[in-house]
Amino acid sequence: MEVNVENKFVVQNLNLFYKDVQALRSISMEIMKQQITALIGPSGCGKTTFLRVLNRMNDLIEGVRIDGTVLLDDQDIFGPDVDVVNLRKRVGMVFQRPNPFPMSVYDNVAYGPRIHGQKNKSQLDQIVEKSLRSAALWDEVSNRLFKSALGLSGGQQQRLCIARLLAVEPEVVLMDEPTSALDPLSTLKIEELLRDLKNHYTIVIVTHNMQQAARVSDSTAFFLNGDMVEFGPTETLFTRPKDQRTEDYITGRFG
Amino acid sequence: MTSRSTFDRELNDLKQDILRMASLVERSLFLALDSLLSGDPVAAREVITGDDAIDNLQDDIENQCIKLIATQQPMARDLRVIITGIKIMINLERMGDHAVDIARSAMCVCGQMPQKPLEKIPHMARLVQQMVKEGMDAYVHNDVEKARQMCMTDDEVDELYNLTFQDLISYMEEHPQSIGCVVYLLMVARYLERIADRATNIAEDVIYLVTGERQCLN
Amino acid sequence: MNSNRLSNTVATVILWASGFFIVGLLVFFLAYILGQGFKVLSLDFVFGPASQGGVGPQLFNTFYILVLSLLYSVPIGVGAGIYLAEYAKPSRLTNLVRLSTECLATVPSIVLGLFGLIIFVNVLGLGFTILGGAAALALLNLPVLVRVTEEALRTVPHAHREGSLALGSTQWQTIRRVVLPSSILGLITGITLVSGRAIGEAAILVFTAGTSVSRHYPDFNPLVAGETLAVHLWYVRGEPLVANADAVAAGSAALLVLVVLFFNLAIGLPARIYQRRLRGSN
Repeated sequence: MEVNVENKFVVQNLNLFYKDVQALRSISMEIMKQQITALIGPSGCGKTTFLRVLNRMNDLIEGVRIDGTVLLDDQDIFGPDVDVVNLRKRVGMVFQRPNPFPMSVYDNVAYGPRIHGQKNKSQLDQIVEKSLRSAALWDEVSNRLFKSALGLSGGQQQRLCIARLLAVEPEVVLMDEPTSALDPLSTLKIEELLRDLKNHYTIVIVTHNMQQAARVSDSTAFFLNGDMVEFGPTETLFTRPKDQRTEDYITGRFG
Repeated sequence: MTSRSTFDRELNDLKQDILRMASLVERSLFLALDSLLSGDPVAAREVITGDDAIDNLQDDIENQCIKLIATQQPMARDLRVIITGIKIMINLERMGDHAVDIARSAMCVCGQMPQKPLEKIPHMARLVQQMVKEGMDAYVHNDVEKARQMCMTDDEVDELYNLTFQDLISYMEEHPQSIGCVVYLLMVARYLERIADRATNIAEDVIYLVTGERQCLN
Repeated sequence: MNSNRLSNTVATVILWASGFFIVGLLVFFLAYILGQGFKVLSLDFVFGPASQGGVGPQLFNTFYILVLSLLYSVPIGVGAGIYLAEYAKPSRLTNLVRLSTECLATVPSIVLGLFGLIIFVNVLGLGFTILGGAAALALLNLPVLVRVTEEALRTVPHAHREGSLALGSTQWQTIRRVVLPSSILGLITGITLVSGRAIGEAAILVFTAGTSVSRHYPDFNPLVAGETLAVHLWYVRGEPLVANADAVAAGSAALLVLVVLFFNLAIGLPARIYQRRLRGSN
């Protein structure tokens, strides 16, 4: 364990209310730099909600109220001087269903750099190729860059969405069940990709698939009914969880 | 707790098989020692032929464990049950082999055993058999305390082994004509000491099974 | 079981029949109008000045008024539609905007015409003008445009918006670069629909743009009266003194139908092709 263990996110006593319902209860955790942190738990446990706190995607939802602090590199992301747009550039997100824009593969990847002001054609070409290579997609799409992205397979579309995100060079990549709509082979490809990406990015992944969390993550947090029941090294959590509820969930004896 | 009842049943079957294997090993050990102390070669022969049954059971258990890992993706306690099962099974199999070794030695010394050097070996044998039994009891009841206590006995066995060793050496110096027999006794003492170590391993496995913590009790 | 099958058959037959009735009706109308009008249609009739019995100025005015009215109504209508679909949170103001739109949509066109008459012709003292006609027409189009824009934007999956926002784009960047391009077909369809209605609209224009045409042709001055094809058709049928009224009416009607048809194709086809390229039907 010679890895340089540094905090990327520090979450302190986070509460989230959706209208009158409390969806997250005093969550405190530290997300480590250049590690993969997995969030697991049954449906409706708050794991996705928590993920969306980290890049303030919940801002888009009416009636959400948050207290507590979330520090990204020691800066409170809910602070008054924080620009949400800039935050989302640093903390990007990949969604449950692949959501490529209805435009060409090239334009999809170039979308982010373009909105952030990159106009130089040869620069864009470079970024697009580099991002597609990082997402292990280049070889499959290099001959159809200017055709619509919607013609790709589901797994390719999801890797395209990852490439699209990498093109804006985020520091953190949030993934909301990124493989739940994919077949097993595409899933494994994405998992392999995650392990490569972790050398450069901090990754937080929500997954329904416990084996996936076990396979790819360094740390795992188990959420239940808005509480974070247990958080620790993946290996420990999956071999000797401390909490009986975690044990019941990961051994499939839940409810 | 009904969501994985089939899996639960299979885990239970695994445990039952391990206990059956343990009882075969305990019986082998008892017969081998009985043969040694009473000079009855029939019991010794039964131990040697009975070892096949233990080996067969070992294969069964191993296959069961592989199948459960491959098909059920065990996690947490389930994983520990299976891994511990494999380890206990291996320890039991080695104990069975030692019982065979003792039985072979018993056949070699049959009838010509001098009484004096045997003094401490019956005591040692009782302690070792007790350890094996308590180890399996701890496994059946997931009893960490019992597992820990049982390991104390191991120190006693080790001490007895050292004493026996010295006794037998000096006996051989005094009675060079009985070296051929006493060497076998020396080996029996050694086997018993190894079996006690194996029993200690099982105790450690039980502690890991229950707590998830690894402890060295040897 | 049997009665289920029977009712299924009956329903199928009825629905098929309804469909065929509509198509039949359309074919009959088209055949009738075009059949009557084709005899009259000629280059001189279509593009010639009024003095030679042509409807050239009316055709020109039709498009001129249409373009002017779209110039008012599209930015406001599409803007309001974008506001309602993308920005508006459920609030009293939003409800007010929606309610106003719906009220405006239910106002009969003749009432809008009279309203235009009062405001543009009398209060502002402009008299019958193309500008006033276009403005009054814009009032008719506005609610439909708002509705159509809102609907078109709502068909864009929420995931696309989130995807864009999660890349650190602003809301406006998201709307301009993702939402609008994805909903362009719906928008174009809406504008085409509105335009078709505007081309055929007479009641409003009778009271605002008048029933006479400028002596000059083509006359781009928006402050003169400008009769459109539809108004001309109404005028010719209603005025007993017009020479060969029947022929002129038939020709105008046929021309009107052709213009609407042409308009739909001219805008609709490129949009469809563009959309297909985006969707990647390969």
